[in-house]
Amino acid sequence: MNTSLTPLTAATETRLEEVNSTEILVGIPSYNNADTVGHVVRAVSVGLAKHFPGCRAVLVNSDGGSSDGTPAIVARTAVDFQYLFIGDQQSILHRIVTPYHGIPGKGSAFRTIFEIARRLKARACAVVDADLRSISPEWIELLLRPIMEEGYDYVAPYYLRHKYDGTITNSLAYPLTRALYGQRIRQPIGGEFGFSGALAAHYLDQHVWESEVARFGIDIWMTTEAIASGARVCQSFLGAKIHNPKDPAADLSGMLMQVMGALFALMEQHEDLWSRQEGSRPVPLFGFPYEVGVEPVHVNMERMVSHFRQGLTDLEPIWRQILTDDTFTQLRDTQGTSGDDCRIPDELWVRIVYDAATAYRNRIMPRDHLLKALTPLYLGRTASFVHATQGLTSTEAEQKIEALCHTFERMKPYLIEHWQPTPPQSIAPAPLHHMTIDVGGDHGYLH
Amino acid sequence: MDTFINQALLKPLELLGLQVLNVLPNVLAMGIILLGGLFTAWASGSFVERLLRVIGFDRLCDRLGMNAALLRGGVKTDPSRLVGRSIYWTVLVLASIAALGALNLTPINQFAQSLLAYVPHLVTAAVILLAGYFLSNFVSRAVLIAAVNAGLPPARLIATCSRWGVQALAGAMALEQLGIAQHIVVVGFGITWGGIVLAAAIAFGLGATDLAKGFLERRLVGRSKPGAVDDLHHL
Repeated sequence: MNTSLTPLTAATETRLEEVNSTEILVGIPSYNNADTVGHVVRAVSVGLAKHFPGCRAVLVNSDGGSSDGTPAIVARTAVDFQYLFIGDQQSILHRIVTPYHGIPGKGSAFRTIFEIARRLKARACAVVDADLRSISPEWIELLLRPIMEEGYDYVAPYYLRHKYDGTITNSLAYPLTRALYGQRIRQPIGGEFGFSGALAAHYLDQHVWESEVARFGIDIWMTTEAIASGARVCQSFLGAKIHNPKDPAADLSGMLMQVMGALFALMEQHEDLWSRQEGSRPVPLFGFPYEVGVEPVHVNMERMVSHFRQGLTDLEPIWRQILTDDTFTQLRDTQGTSGDDCRIPDELWVRIVYDAATAYRNRIMPRDHLLKALTPLYLGRTASFVHATQGLTSTEAEQKIEALCHTFERMKPYLIEHWQPTPPQSIAPAPLHHMTIDVGGDHGYLH
Repeated sequence: MDTFINQALLKPLELLGLQVLNVLPNVLAMGIILLGGLFTAWASGSFVERLLRVIGFDRLCDRLGMNAALLRGGVKTDPSRLVGRSIYWTVLVLASIAALGALNLTPINQFAQSLLAYVPHLVTAAVILLAGYFLSNFVSRAVLIAAVNAGLPPARLIATCSRWGVQALAGAMALEQLGIAQHIVVVGFGITWGGIVLAAAIAFGLGATDLAKGFLERRLVGRSKPGAVDDLHHL
């Protein structure tokens, strides 16, 4: 087991000595979030005071070098509990504001939060994004109480989102994770999570902090690693997720590469686990589900289809290397001929993803090239989904996503067949046991 | 009569015999070196070919696009065999030079020495060309993918230019290494690239003013045309 400590600044070390220990830790990774971080800090403070008044709690802001004063806002944001009907706050909320080291990205920020959680021997932790506008104090309860009182190790968020919000989640991360590992976690890359202190220590011990996990791959890695380690997993209903709009010029290709790279790397790592898994099962959902209006999302279909068509023409030699002949032929044959018409059906999309995963594993070309070459395919699939769900309600669109998930599960034998020459014997899914900390061995922290 | 026979006929024959006897060991040595070289060439060629097959050299070349390039050039032999045969012929040529040297004839010795002195340059040039080829494949694929993802219509043209650019650079370096028209290569290369860059700059400045303006506005001011991109949240 790797017990090396993540480097922290001298000021942070001093603060850790002052705080000494805690029961609850809430982490906020940030980078230039001055507009919203104050609201997030207030929601966390109120949530802790209202729902966990007797617990020692620490708020950690792990910042990536903001130039807009984000850390200062975190440090000075105050809450007047008088008007929030909170009269019995028994312990003060400690704040630790620290920069993080390592590759710039959300994963490295989380690593620092995990390290502080380990040093302070936190029992339950939660992380929330700093760009949230819809976070409420109840989110803190919903992310932490399943760990504090119900014995769960990992709490994934469950949001209400617009049907076109979270397209990587809907077309790739959710269906693939569900088909591979058999757990229906609707938002595996949601951004807000609750987890036990023991699980945080397990995360820290993995040698992944120089990979895609250190960036956007952290969310899917945390979810998959929790499942693979045998942790008890649940979801909490958080309502609508509204956050500051991302930079429209943000590099989709890089984002997709990091998420897909983490997904495929985890497939390699946990081959024994997913190749034995059949079907999927629901994951317990805490909280009170309700309907809520969500912000409309403008979609530029023409641009997405144009990208896809250019890929089909210009990247043909590369796609032919990644995809099987049959898949590529289907892809070429199913295209419309005019305007923004683009139809990649569920079955073909699943074959594309499974072929890409196999090609990634077989290292048929530099992995960066392979992953980046999939961007036009993803845009084509997104355009197809938008095309198929235009005029549908969010519930009806959700049914389409459910159908895609079933296709991923149904076609899993195709993946296994291509992944390895001889398909493994079908074995019933291994039961998940609750964890105990393994203090003596290097392998597996959960039993 | 006896004197005539001795002087005119037997003496030259005797001289010829002596000369043949003098050269015979050298010829014998040349034959032995040739036979040894032939065996060494065969053994080393076969060994390297098998070794490359075992370590998966063919698969590596396939991933790097070498096999496809060879097929395009009409070469149907796999890369392991190609390398094996190259080693066979290299050893054989070296053995032949050594064998000719065994004859101990001044012009042949001089030729062999100058040829041997040139071999390191040949090897260096070959390595440069090979590295340039691999690099050009890598660069052109990366450029092609990036250009397509950026939605640039002439993506293939840009990728092809980058491929030929890297290969031309490697070719120029190889020629310089071989000592062939060093100055002409460097000057020619500079003029060609300078011309291309100048032409591209003028074409971009005159023909794509709006594009340049839009690009700079987006980069420096952060402005973009409304509706040009969607507001999808992918994650």
